[in-house]
Amino acid sequence: MSQPIAEFKQSQPLTLGVELELQLLSVRDFDLTRGATDLLGSMDYDGRFGEIKLEITESMIEVSTLPRTLVDGIAADLVGLRQALVNQCARNHIAVCGGGTHPFHRWSERRICPGDRFDEIYHRYGYLAKQFTVFGQHIHVGCSSGDDAIWLTQALGAYVPVFIALSASSPFVDGEDTLFQSARLNAVSAFPLSGQCPALRDWAEFIEHFSLLQACGIARSIKDLYWDIRPKPEFGTVEIRICDTPLTVERAAALAALAQSLVRRLLRTRPVLNTQRQLHVARYNKFQACRYGFDAQISDPIGLRQVPLRQIARELLAALAEDARELGCCAWLELLDASLASEISDARWLRRRQAIHGNLNDVVREAAMRFGKNGGMNFAEETR
Amino acid sequence: MLTDILSLARAAWEDLQERLFFLPPFPDEVDSLALFSMLLVVGLLVGEWLRARLGWPKVVGYVLAGALFGPSVLGWISVEALAQTRPVADAALGLLMLEIGRRLDLRWLGHHRGLLWAAIAEITLSFTAIFLFAWGVVGLIPAWAAAAAAVTMASAPAVVLLIVEESRAQGQVTERMIMHTALSAAASFVVFAVVVGVVHAEYSDDWLNAVVHPLWVVVGALVVAWLMALLALLVASRLPKRSLAQVFILVATALLAVGTARMLAVPVFLTLFLMGAILSFGDHERTLSYTDLPEGHWLLAIILFVVVGASLPWQDFTWLIGLQAVGLLLVRAVAKVAALAWAGDGLNAVRRRVLVGIGIQPLSATAVFMAYEIAGLYPEIGRSSLSLPLFAAAIMELTGPVLCRFALVRAGETAPTDHSREGVA
Repeated sequence: MSQPIAEFKQSQPLTLGVELELQLLSVRDFDLTRGATDLLGSMDYDGRFGEIKLEITESMIEVSTLPRTLVDGIAADLVGLRQALVNQCARNHIAVCGGGTHPFHRWSERRICPGDRFDEIYHRYGYLAKQFTVFGQHIHVGCSSGDDAIWLTQALGAYVPVFIALSASSPFVDGEDTLFQSARLNAVSAFPLSGQCPALRDWAEFIEHFSLLQACGIARSIKDLYWDIRPKPEFGTVEIRICDTPLTVERAAALAALAQSLVRRLLRTRPVLNTQRQLHVARYNKFQACRYGFDAQISDPIGLRQVPLRQIARELLAALAEDARELGCCAWLELLDASLASEISDARWLRRRQAIHGNLNDVVREAAMRFGKNGGMNFAEETR
Repeated sequence: MLTDILSLARAAWEDLQERLFFLPPFPDEVDSLALFSMLLVVGLLVGEWLRARLGWPKVVGYVLAGALFGPSVLGWISVEALAQTRPVADAALGLLMLEIGRRLDLRWLGHHRGLLWAAIAEITLSFTAIFLFAWGVVGLIPAWAAAAAAVTMASAPAVVLLIVEESRAQGQVTERMIMHTALSAAASFVVFAVVVGVVHAEYSDDWLNAVVHPLWVVVGALVVAWLMALLALLVASRLPKRSLAQVFILVATALLAVGTARMLAVPVFLTLFLMGAILSFGDHERTLSYTDLPEGHWLLAIILFVVVGASLPWQDFTWLIGLQAVGLLLVRAVAKVAALAWAGDGLNAVRRRVLVGIGIQPLSATAVFMAYEIAGLYPEIGRSSLSLPLFAAAIMELTGPVLCRFALVRAGETAPTDHSREGVA
């Protein structure tokens, strides 16, 4: 049944919220295991750091922080949520870890969580729903109006490849090295309403567009839009949905810092958008970032040339320094800068561990150990 | 009728022998391999038929096939043939016990004290309730009542593992069922060793045997298990993890442990359980942690349950002993379910804790083999004194797998039935 779009709830601009989808693992072989419902059912947690909730399959769990003004607040929430979850998982003989895909699970063994919405998704999308056992990070940034949210949905589109490359942590699927840095997004792109938001001017035009989708029977609620970036009227935010869940909560916080600084700069400078042109290259650029990560060549539809993603990312991080300083999240952006300079990504870390161990079980075991401990603010240590 | 047919065949064969000099003498005994395959086919057919028609676990079919064709009913599987298949049954039980030992993760108990208390409550209550029933109600002497309790207090690791595999179950109820099964099996083995000494003390003036035999059982099993686990890890560490070669090493060392245990007269089930537990706890490099037993262990498991079905003393059945066995099973069921429902163990809903209690009801091969080990000490007294646990096991051979599967299905942890994947497993 179609649901009307909720009125856009005004929120304090630039407030942040982060959602992480996490993997539940068997401690015996580090394959995905089922257990999300029992895990939550017996959990003694007062919600002080945010929510812990079910995702579509029993092998996934989602944590979401409270709305925070500072990235430090987001980081503290993520550490608190991680600790609560790791403790609860240990009590239930389960391990938990980050990463955009599980390297070797068999999707057909996944079980859809109980719940009407999950049931409905399974019946609508069939096996795609089970193959959707992939794990992403969603970043919400507060907007003062629906118009701003739609403008940001367009403006942030050009930076999707940077977010993909910096968060990429899904090189393995079905036990194979995919040669992608982020193979997770291939599972998402199978859904009919995935991709980019069309060129829309404001909230009113978005409502019009969505009403059309509803009238044609394509979408029932805003949750059916699996866009890379979409407005979230209930929260009063714009939601960036293309990041893989990183292997550490520290990198997740750093990506939130990037989103916050970027949104501040965009709102401050209000650059002219060429959304139609960007849409021509969006899919290609996304593929480049997923496949090659930092080595991607990004098409520039205005300058009519290709630019290395590494260069775009470096220039972006340099340009955001002032905004980051104002927002008090410089240190987090420096982490990403260092990661870029030293060519360190989660995908690369996973491949190195695979090269050392020669099997993916040990790779996931180490990823779970890494997720569970306090990583500090130095990604460089992660590659050792 | 079978004898008549055989006599006719023998006469015809001997006639032929006079003319065809290359013919061997008429085969009086079935060749071991032929017997192995016949048991396999018969067990498989009955198991698959019951599964397809009634949705029963295949294990029930294997046991029924054994009971039907065994010495107690049709007699097609003779007592001699049973003895012939014992090494295969030992190997099958050994591999399954190895697997349950490998699933015993004591680190989990460290993280979760509630689970430890639940396990202690379940073990203590089960033993006490069965002992009091066997002693107070049935009237066994304390030594045999303790033996009956030792034999029947634990769940059946082989059945629980096979049902979990057959149903492709996964989840918190499944995990707890496996953990409680492994822990109660470990506890019953300790009690079993003590009972061996107690039975010696009861029937013999020779105190040396009363002391040394339990030690032989425990220390012997521990030494064999430790050596074989060490050997397995040593060789496997030179091979790629999860490789086929590692699977072969795991199976080969397990079979070596089975053979050595048989030579030294230490219980196979205890030795292999300990070997699995040592592999679980001592494999710091996770050399063999990810290496699974080959699917082929199902073939051996079919033989195991056909043999168990044929070994049970169905011919000694009386209504009195049947009633007593039912009483014992009821007391045992209440003890297990009540302990788990009361002690918690981390599952929030009482209903799910009760399901764990129902899931660990099976009583099977280990109990039967333990009963025969104890009864074998003083055969003239032991067999009759242990008919109570043997009949309890006989009843549970048929109902236990159904209860176990019921619990997993009700917990929502089994995979949807996919007949295209139905096969041996």
